[in-house]
Amino acid sequence: MTTTTHAPVATAASARDLTKTYGTGAAAVHALDGVDVDLAPGRFTAVMGPSGSGKSTLMHCLAGLDRPTRGTVTVDGVDLTRLDDDRLTRFRRDHLGFVFQAFNLLPMLTARQNILLPLELAGRRVDANVRDDLDTVVSVLGLGDRLEHRPSELSGGQQQRVAIARALVSQASIVFADEPTGNLDSAASAEVLSYLRRSVRELGRTVVMVTHEIDAAAYADDVVVLADGRIRSHLVSPSRAELVSVLAGSTHRDA
Amino acid sequence: MRTVLRASLRTHTRRYVAAFVAVMVAVGFVIATNAVGSAAKSGLSAEFERAYRGADLVVGQDYGLDRSQVEPVERAAADQGAAADVIGSAFTTVTHDGTPLGQDTSVSTVSLDPELRRQTVVAGRAPAADGQALVDQRAAKADRIRVGDRLVVGTDGDRRTVTVVGVAKATTYLSADLYVPWSTLSALPDALPDAVVVRTSGDPAATSAALSKVTEEPVRTQGEYVDARVVTLNQGFDAIGILLLLFATVAGFVAVLVIANTFTILFAQRTRDLALLRCVGATRQQVVRSVRVESVAVALLASTLGVVAGVGAGYGIVATVRALSDASTLGPVALSPLWVGGAFVGGVVVTVAAAWLPTRRVVRVSPLAALRPHDADVLSRAGAARVGLGAAVVATGAATLAVAVRTSTLPPLLLGGMVTFTGVLLLGPVLVPALLRVAGRLLGGTGLATRLAAANAVRNPRRSAATTASLLVGVTLATAVLTGMASARGALDDELEVQYPVDVALTGSSTLPDDALDRVGRLDGVDRASLVPGVRAELPGAGVVPVLTPGSGARDLTRDPSTVEPPRLTLLIPGAVATTMTDGIPERLRLTRDGRSVEVATKVVGSEWGSAVLAGPGVVEALGGGATPQALWVRVADGTDTVRLTGELGAVARELGLGVSSTVDSRASIEKQLDVLTWAVLGLLGISVAIALVGIANTVGLSVLERGREHALLRALGLTRGELRRMLAAEGLLLALVAAVLGTVVGVAFGWVGTVSVVTAAVQDVPLVTPWSELAAVVGIAALAGLLACVVPARRAAKVAPAEGLVLD
Ligand SMILES: Nc1ncnc2c1ncn2[C@@H]1O[C@H](COP(=O)(O)OP(=O)(O)O)[C@@H](O)[C@H]1O
Ligand SMILES: [Mg+2]
Repeated sequence: MTTTTHAPVATAASARDLTKTYGTGAAAVHALDGVDVDLAPGRFTAVMGPSGSGKSTLMHCLAGLDRPTRGTVTVDGVDLTRLDDDRLTRFRRDHLGFVFQAFNLLPMLTARQNILLPLELAGRRVDANVRDDLDTVVSVLGLGDRLEHRPSELSGGQQQRVAIARALVSQASIVFADEPTGNLDSAASAEVLSYLRRSVRELGRTVVMVTHEIDAAAYADDVVVLADGRIRSHLVSPSRAELVSVLAGSTHRDA
Repeated sequence: MRTVLRASLRTHTRRYVAAFVAVMVAVGFVIATNAVGSAAKSGLSAEFERAYRGADLVVGQDYGLDRSQVEPVERAAADQGAAADVIGSAFTTVTHDGTPLGQDTSVSTVSLDPELRRQTVVAGRAPAADGQALVDQRAAKADRIRVGDRLVVGTDGDRRTVTVVGVAKATTYLSADLYVPWSTLSALPDALPDAVVVRTSGDPAATSAALSKVTEEPVRTQGEYVDARVVTLNQGFDAIGILLLLFATVAGFVAVLVIANTFTILFAQRTRDLALLRCVGATRQQVVRSVRVESVAVALLASTLGVVAGVGAGYGIVATVRALSDASTLGPVALSPLWVGGAFVGGVVVTVAAAWLPTRRVVRVSPLAALRPHDADVLSRAGAARVGLGAAVVATGAATLAVAVRTSTLPPLLLGGMVTFTGVLLLGPVLVPALLRVAGRLLGGTGLATRLAAANAVRNPRRSAATTASLLVGVTLATAVLTGMASARGALDDELEVQYPVDVALTGSSTLPDDALDRVGRLDGVDRASLVPGVRAELPGAGVVPVLTPGSGARDLTRDPSTVEPPRLTLLIPGAVATTMTDGIPERLRLTRDGRSVEVATKVVGSEWGSAVLAGPGVVEALGGGATPQALWVRVADGTDTVRLTGELGAVARELGLGVSSTVDSRASIEKQLDVLTWAVLGLLGISVAIALVGIANTVGLSVLERGREHALLRALGLTRGELRRMLAAEGLLLALVAAVLGTVVGVAFGWVGTVSVVTAAVQDVPLVTPWSELAAVVGIAALAGLLACVVPARRAAKVAPAEGLVLD
């Protein structure tokens, strides 16, 4: 690590004038259109909005999975837009965790191998500390007897829990989740969401979750609402009624 | 359905490219095989063709024709308005300034008809009339003969004086020291006609018919005659023909494998699309028809391009090999319409069939069942039934091969080889993943990328097996041929060692002069030289001959010392001496010298060391002892310009009054023919490597398309671009290595079986040789091909940004 002092980190991740345009000319789609947002550390933030509003695009840009057309993204005090591909990759490996809607795991690896994959990629040794972490996370997520199974032998909910375990064991400072419950039934969804909330409450992690389900957003601390590639509102600890009214407004305007 | 077809062609262009390239290369492979094979054959024939240059027809047996037949043929040819000339030869005495050039000088014919003249004149001019002669370049140098010199050809009453008018370039076939017109040569009683060459003015067929009426001797076209002589030269064993047949069979086999594998992967990936079509109401017939139209379109276009590519590759490879090696090892390409047509039709039929089989599986099940993600990534364990079947097929093939060995016949060899190989392919889904796991473990220490690659490579055992199969064929083919060639070459080398134990032998009519050893030993290209002691004694029926007792120095410079070590009181008589023994060769005979005599056992041997006999211990002692140097044996250094050395040796020998018997030219000519075969194999190996590249590139390329999301996930989790590229390269390398090693094992076994069953037909006691360095080169090239095949798919996969990859399906 360098010894340069960073500006005091008040936010886990922030974006300034974040713009992402697909295509050119008449066919251009402004998936993100000048987004400014600051996400607080140690909190569970949900990104909401109707389909096509740019939620995934925002998450991809914040997590360094895609390059914005314009604007800056700062995560953990590092300006991601100034990193080359290899540095960006290593940054993701060392600081971020991911839970996607589907295809979260490598099919040829067991659950345990999948969980330890980021550590392996980083060339870190699986020492006693890691093993303790693994034991804690695995017991919190209830995966104890599933570690030696391959993804095809796990249910959808179990697969998502393995992905969460992977993000937690690698000590990711921010976990990004894109519709993590999109493929699950309501019971499995509730399970996964409560595990995400527990990792924020009990393990002090930061979680950013993209969802279009209001029930899912209800587990979050804060909610960012997107519409047409712009931030419509950033609600801190909203009540359900507040959330419903904001979302109703956005869908209404959208329609 | 047409919209679907068009949309599918557009979206999956890359996937079609794989199938397309597979068909194209397979068709091209067959055609290129024909091109290279025909070039190898014409390379060998070209040398013979030069000897019968300008002739449309050749009259005579493979070994010559009866002298009485010459005149009627010449007369009949003249009646037809055709030019005829005789190619013939004689071994006789040629004197230059009163000194004989040697004991027996070879004299051959030169045609007075410029069109029929086979010699290239390098100095002076060609003979234009009876009594004029061309002298061979080497003889000219050795015997200091210049244009304008007069030579006396023949002995006593039958001598003719000729004037040297030109110098001819040395050739390897039908070469001689001196060339005179047949009218001159025929004056000698020893002159033997070899063939009558006829250049027709009109219809060769009519002339041929007219000639057949006047002679018993066969009348053949130049091509037929040359082919027959090539076969005769190979001791009745049409090596190139057999090799080509073998490659043709294998080429067809490779074609089917590569195309079938690519289409299987292609359609496995499209199962869901087709199932969805069925779900939304497409009938079975509609799906099948759409697939068929699609595959016919791909087949026709790809086969056409394959023909073009194959012709181009064939010419290219031949040109490259010719540029890299001795230019005359490969001749011009002569494509056979049958091969080209067969390759095209075969390509179309196999493509349509290969596309049809995997679709049938899709349309057989209910649409919903097909839609369910049949998890290709689950390790499907090949059942015990497959292992049993595979083992049974291998056993059947092995039994057929045993029949081939027993009967020394080709059909069971080809059949057995194919059946055994099919068995190995059936066992592939079990065998290949097991080997991949071992290879992965061996390479696994090198990092996560390699470990992931090993895991990826065994994910789909059937696909890995099918992919390695195409390379397996190429490697098996190459290593089998290399092993067979090495063994055949070993056998031939053994024979040559016995036949030509001494590279050059110099013998005189009395004890050798003191400076002989020194003067010969100084020549450039003489590795070692040794004086051979002996005495001169009377051999019944053959006059006084040198009786040699080679010492250890002389024995050590021979190619096979055991051939020059006669047992006690035994005489080894070479063919050169045996033919001069007018009274025949009794089992025991009496040698005499200065009133002393000794009875010895005789043994006629096929070896050559000039006109001398070798005596075992006790013989020279019984004849009074006192051995003096009677001969000088020379070992020529490898890589020497034998034409130059032979000339220089001849000059020295002439000054010393010695006769020269050299075997280096015969040896060089035989070695050259083997080189032709080896280069042809290397040309074919080049094509097999291309096949391997396409096969592996297709599988890895198609797998990359299939695993787009996984790669995006890995990239998201922190796999760098370089690591991703390395991972894919390692996968290709593993597949190639396993195929190469397995193929080498099978290939060496096939090579040995082939050697034992085919080559033994021509040569006895074949030693089984393992050409380690060549095999290592094949494995190395195959591994490199595996790596190269992944370059393009790996680069493409690494270019995709993680966010893009995550939405792929
Ligand atoms: N690769 C792409 N090419 C073109 N347009 C895209 C691409 N990815 C996303 N879009 C467009 O950008 C907009 C936002 O997409 P996305 O962020 O995926 O929305 P959400 O996740 O909120 O449903 C959509 O209009 C979508 O069509
Ligand atoms: Mg989305």
